[in-house]
Amino acid sequence: MPSYKLTYFNGRGTAEIVRLVFAAAGTEYEDVRLEQDQWPELKPNTPMGQLPILEMDGTMLCQSNSIARYIAKLAGLAGKTPLDQARVDMVMDGMVDMGNKFAYEIYYEKDEDKKAEKKKDYVEKYVPQFFSSLNKLASDGGYFAGDELTLADIAFYNMTTMVNPYLEQPLSLDGFPKLQKVEDNVTSNPGIAKWLKERPETPY
Amino acid sequence: MAPRYRMIYFNLRARAEPTRLLFAAAGLQYEDVRIRRDTEWPALKPNTPMGQVPVLEVDGVTICQSNAIARYVAKETGLAGKTNLEQAQVDMLVDGMGDLRGKQAAIRKASEDKKDQCKEELAAFAPNFLRRYEELSGPHAGHLVGDSLTWADLEFYDVMTKVLMYLPGIIDNLPKLAKVMDTVPANKGVADWLAKRPETPH
Repeated sequence: MPSYKLTYFNGRGTAEIVRLVFAAAGTEYEDVRLEQDQWPELKPNTPMGQLPILEMDGTMLCQSNSIARYIAKLAGLAGKTPLDQARVDMVMDGMVDMGNKFAYEIYYEKDEDKKAEKKKDYVEKYVPQFFSSLNKLASDGGYFAGDELTLADIAFYNMTTMVNPYLEQPLSLDGFPKLQKVEDNVTSNPGIAKWLKERPETPY
Repeated sequence: MAPRYRMIYFNLRARAEPTRLLFAAAGLQYEDVRIRRDTEWPALKPNTPMGQVPVLEVDGVTICQSNAIARYVAKETGLAGKTNLEQAQVDMLVDGMGDLRGKQAAIRKASEDKKDQCKEELAAFAPNFLRRYEELSGPHAGHLVGDSLTWADLEFYDVMTKVLMYLPGIIDNLPKLAKVMDTVPANKGVADWLAKRPETPH
């Protein structure tokens, strides 16, 4: 088996989805966390000047979702049929949209009044509507594709928990029973449960 | 018999065009449905998975998110990359191109007084980005990944066609990338599509 080396900063950020997939897959990897002052030297030697990167057998991959999909595929967590794989991909992309909307409209907003208004809109209108769509896409058993855990379920858990610390209270799954099941399926996966207990506590 | 695939979008290239290029390159039949934003979209919207288009309907399933659709069609047409690793490389290159696409789309979307600023941002971003892509481009001339056409080449062609409108000489000194711009329209299916596709604002 190749040796995997994941490099990111000391945080969850955009690398955490990869770490969660490694955990679910039970695949060993080196979890390298850079200090900010180590980054300038590495940056020109990365494919696109960004982290995370995955190194294996002399190859370097970048782009967190591409890395996550690659590892998930090898572990059978990316969807069993082409259409299931498409379902997984579309949920992953939807979760990225949800995260980006938070980042660009709220996190980076400097005007405090606008920020508060956008946050209210996000929590009261956007997320419930989006969760309503996602709830329809999930199975009764709490899976976005097929009847087993996939990268899509992990992406849902990862993004909602990523956003929650920045809100007054965690996003509610009330009224979305299938999404609650998705979350339970993710957190009760043995590899993920172990990682959630052991992973470093970091500000982001 | 109706085609197995039905793609629904507005009458634009935009986010649906890479998938149309994939279908064209492979000569795979599909229904290219273009809806009117004002009269048809409001009724369709609640019946889409995430309230957005494009969507692809196939075998009773509806898929949304343009890259998820494109990746599925790329796999169906054998244009996704030949190995798991090549597919990951195609994916990462397409992901990165999202940034370039975003910067050029920002120019179009900006109000008149902000357009120049957005053009400057594209001009500042593109050179480094494209230099890296020249380096990442694989050893086979005219193909970003592997030795044959992939989704990455089609995505690149689509985005660069728009970027070249603002920065015409930008890949003149990047031979591998320039070759991709020749290879893609040399594919017969793509050439036929480029000649007959509807003229749209973007």
